[in-house]
Amino acid sequence: MTVAEIEQYLAPIRHEYPDPRSLIIPALKYAQGDAGWLPPEAMAAVAEATGFSQAYVESVATFYDRLYVDEVGRYCINVCVTLSCMLRGSDELFEHIADYLGLDGEGTTDDGMFTLARVQCIGACDRAPCLQVDSGVQLGPLEPADATCLIDDLRAEPAPARYDR
Amino acid sequence: MADAGNTPAAGGDAAGAGGAPADVVSLTVNGRTIEAPKGTMLVDAAKAAGIEIPIFCYEPRLGAPIGACRMCLVEVEGMRGLQTACSTPVAPDMVVNTESEVAKDAQDGVLELLLANHPLDCPVCDKGGECPLQDRTFRFGPGETRTVEPKMHFPKPLDLSPLVALDRERCIACYRCVRFSQEVAEDGQLTFQERGDHTEIATFSGDPYEGRFTGNTIDLCPVGALTSNPYRFVSRPWDIKNTPSVCAGCSMGCNVEVTERDNEVKRLTARPEPNMAVEEGWICDRGRWGYPALRSADRIDAPLLVDAVGRRKVLLDRAVNEAGGLLGGRDLRVGILLGEPVTVETGFLATELAERAGNGAGMVRRMGIPGHGLGPLRDLPGAQMHHLDAADVIVVVGGDPCAQQPVAELRLRKAHRRGARVVLAGPRPTALDPACQVLRTTPGHLQDAAPAIAEVLEGSARAIVLWDEADLAAEPDAAATIAAVVAGTPGARAIELAADVSGPGLRALGIDAPGDLLAAIEAGEVDVLVTVQADPTTGPDGDRWSQAIAGVPRVIEMATYRSGLTDRADLVLPLLTALEDEGVLVSMTGRAQRLRPAARECPDAAAAWEIIIALTHRLGRPVPDRTPAQAFARLAAVHAPFAGLSYGALGTTGAVVAASSHGGPAPRREAPGDGLLVVPCTPVFGDATAHRSDALASVLEPTRVGLAPAEADRLGVRTEARVRIATPHGEAVLPLEVDSRLHEGAAYLFTGDPQAGAMRLLPLDRGPVRAVVGVVQREEVSA
Ligand code: SF4
Ligand code: SF4
Ligand code: FES
Repeated sequence: MTVAEIEQYLAPIRHEYPDPRSLIIPALKYAQGDAGWLPPEAMAAVAEATGFSQAYVESVATFYDRLYVDEVGRYCINVCVTLSCMLRGSDELFEHIADYLGLDGEGTTDDGMFTLARVQCIGACDRAPCLQVDSGVQLGPLEPADATCLIDDLRAEPAPARYDR
Repeated sequence: MADAGNTPAAGGDAAGAGGAPADVVSLTVNGRTIEAPKGTMLVDAAKAAGIEIPIFCYEPRLGAPIGACRMCLVEVEGMRGLQTACSTPVAPDMVVNTESEVAKDAQDGVLELLLANHPLDCPVCDKGGECPLQDRTFRFGPGETRTVEPKMHFPKPLDLSPLVALDRERCIACYRCVRFSQEVAEDGQLTFQERGDHTEIATFSGDPYEGRFTGNTIDLCPVGALTSNPYRFVSRPWDIKNTPSVCAGCSMGCNVEVTERDNEVKRLTARPEPNMAVEEGWICDRGRWGYPALRSADRIDAPLLVDAVGRRKVLLDRAVNEAGGLLGGRDLRVGILLGEPVTVETGFLATELAERAGNGAGMVRRMGIPGHGLGPLRDLPGAQMHHLDAADVIVVVGGDPCAQQPVAELRLRKAHRRGARVVLAGPRPTALDPACQVLRTTPGHLQDAAPAIAEVLEGSARAIVLWDEADLAAEPDAAATIAAVVAGTPGARAIELAADVSGPGLRALGIDAPGDLLAAIEAGEVDVLVTVQADPTTGPDGDRWSQAIAGVPRVIEMATYRSGLTDRADLVLPLLTALEDEGVLVSMTGRAQRLRPAARECPDAAAAWEIIIALTHRLGRPVPDRTPAQAFARLAAVHAPFAGLSYGALGTTGAVVAASSHGGPAPRREAPGDGLLVVPCTPVFGDATAHRSDALASVLEPTRVGLAPAEADRLGVRTEARVRIATPHGEAVLPLEVDSRLHEGAAYLFTGDPQAGAMRLLPLDRGPVRAVVGVVQREEVSA
């Protein structure tokens, strides 16, 4: 991701952000599309494109869970563990997925395909327990077996050209 | 001497100087009626009335209050909820309660929450005993915690840099360090990462926190989260003694506090009560971590005597007796050369010694710039650093304050943030360039900037011009022109960026630069040379000095550190450092400030003034003084600039010495010969102290030659080369640095470390000089 690419992306939307600080988030989201996460070079490029210090850009990135400053897998599976989902079995769902992926709790699979995380409410309590893959629609209610299918399907997909998470 | 700069309020009052008195508001705090100027924050108004409202994040020097920590919550009648006293300005008839049950509950609550994740490892924390969190918890806190959950843990500690350690568990997220980095030093390096209880101070991708002012975050941190690596586990507050003194690192004259334990200097910090007229409570890392130099291997720890027996260590008494003997002969011609740091008392006593030693007509000179032609600039109305806070236009002419007088940079940044127009004119790139307007001049042609400077100053009401002593001494024509421009601007004032620490004080005593002394030595007219903290052999025209001094019958060296003279001297008397000495230094703004002895690390060393007084006794014509205070009183009686001053009058924050007359303009000087014009530069972490201090090893800057890419191309080199640089005064082989910000046609000589010998290449009077630069062949390098 080059500075020029980010600048080009920002040019038509700049006017929507009267406080230039607000521009950092769309810029980071865009930059994250490349590798699926934000290596330091990507944050440095955002810093240059937005005119803020690298440290400031990184502090924004670390504030938000869905901006990844550490490398993650091809798919991020975010299992909601807030009240409604928990009452409806999110613990079991999470454990099942972890087992199926061979993970000991949260983390990234060795083959770099999946990153599993517990997250707070993703706004689909009516479909509890639910999860979200990257920024896709919330999926639920899910039985452990549904999650197995989902993972198998994802494995069969070709790698995305850009990441949206 | 109009000198209203010693209180925090003075920064502001400078703006309204001469205006109507600020409106005063009357309000009630805890049932007492108090008064405060309009706009004062509640916390300050209460403090002035002796009522303490606890704070953590509030620090006016960091800018507008941000209300981050909630420690200062108070009850204000008629206002909903509790208010943060740090960000609530006083209002007429406000009724405030800082001790009501509600307020007390809030204080308890805030402290309980701040401590919820705090490790409470006070017994192993460097801050323990001088920690605001500890103090406020005792005074305002709940005494007990209800938290039973496990605390947040981070691996400890983390090196934010080789100098600053971060213990993330202790951080209370007050934002002070972040605001310093972002808004005062403007280096943009420190930020918070993550959020909630995971919040931590961090730099981009874990890079080291680099800068010239990083240590100030340690002073600012109200807990033990940021600590000094060199001071880590060195002492506890009840084992130390803190002494207010002055940094002798450069001519800024920052007020500092020196920590002593077991007769050793263990730490140097800004003073808890900043001198707003000088450093405003910020000091640079060179000043802060230079103190280990006191214990460097090249410190002279005992007097050395060369006689028929050979060269050997002797006791101080014996050495003083020997010195008396060497100086006693009735027809001896004596020369005394003063270097830096030398206090005004020592300078004064040296002149008294010259009258008593030898034939009584000894010459006393200072190492430094003669400055013919600087008169018109020196005669301009002067200013103090806090006047920059109210200036509308600021012009820096020559030099590079960011490197030479580092803390000045912070004051310039502050003025720039406030909206003052800051213009930098000169041949060097500086750290302020990206933020300010730059008038880059061709080396040797500061004069060319004069019309632009005149334009910038036009219409200003409170302009301040900071001019560089060394650069303008080399270009007297520019000095005269620029002085005329400033003199013609109503309300404009000037600050001299003085090249050395002792220069302003010694000049006020009428002590001149050493040109005629060197000539006298060369003519064989000096029988005994006494140097005080001076090693001319590594200074400007050093080779000529070396040759000349080789022919002097007797040399007495008084110095703290071994130098190029030590092996030549017949007698060496070890001196205390500025941190151990007592006396007065005059800063570049003419502020006389007291050094107070913090420790005495070397039992066989003495202060220069002590030795000189003893010598006058030995010579049978004793001066009446026993202390520097007495010497100062005497010199104030005879030297007009110091008239009316005494140690009492100097107090803890000093006083401005009166200006004296400085002579007229001088004609333009050209550097003779061929080659590249030399532009001397002073790296921040490149001076002798930085080289001697092991604490600063990680930031040390090498003595080097800087060239523009085109010049380097002409030599057929890029980087990683070593070059030979030769002027009519000498030559040196130094590493090359290619920098596209440098001018063609010039050789930027980054001096500093006296051992590297770069200063020798300059003319004695620091006038313009040209150098031939050539690549050193590989064989030569390996040889
Ligand atoms: S490290 Fe210290 S100064 Fe910085 S935010 Fe934490 S407590 Fe405040
Ligand atoms: S700016 Fe100069 S006087 Fe101030 S702390 Fe630094 S070296 Fe010392
Ligand atoms: S001191 Fe007022 S909120 Fe921190």
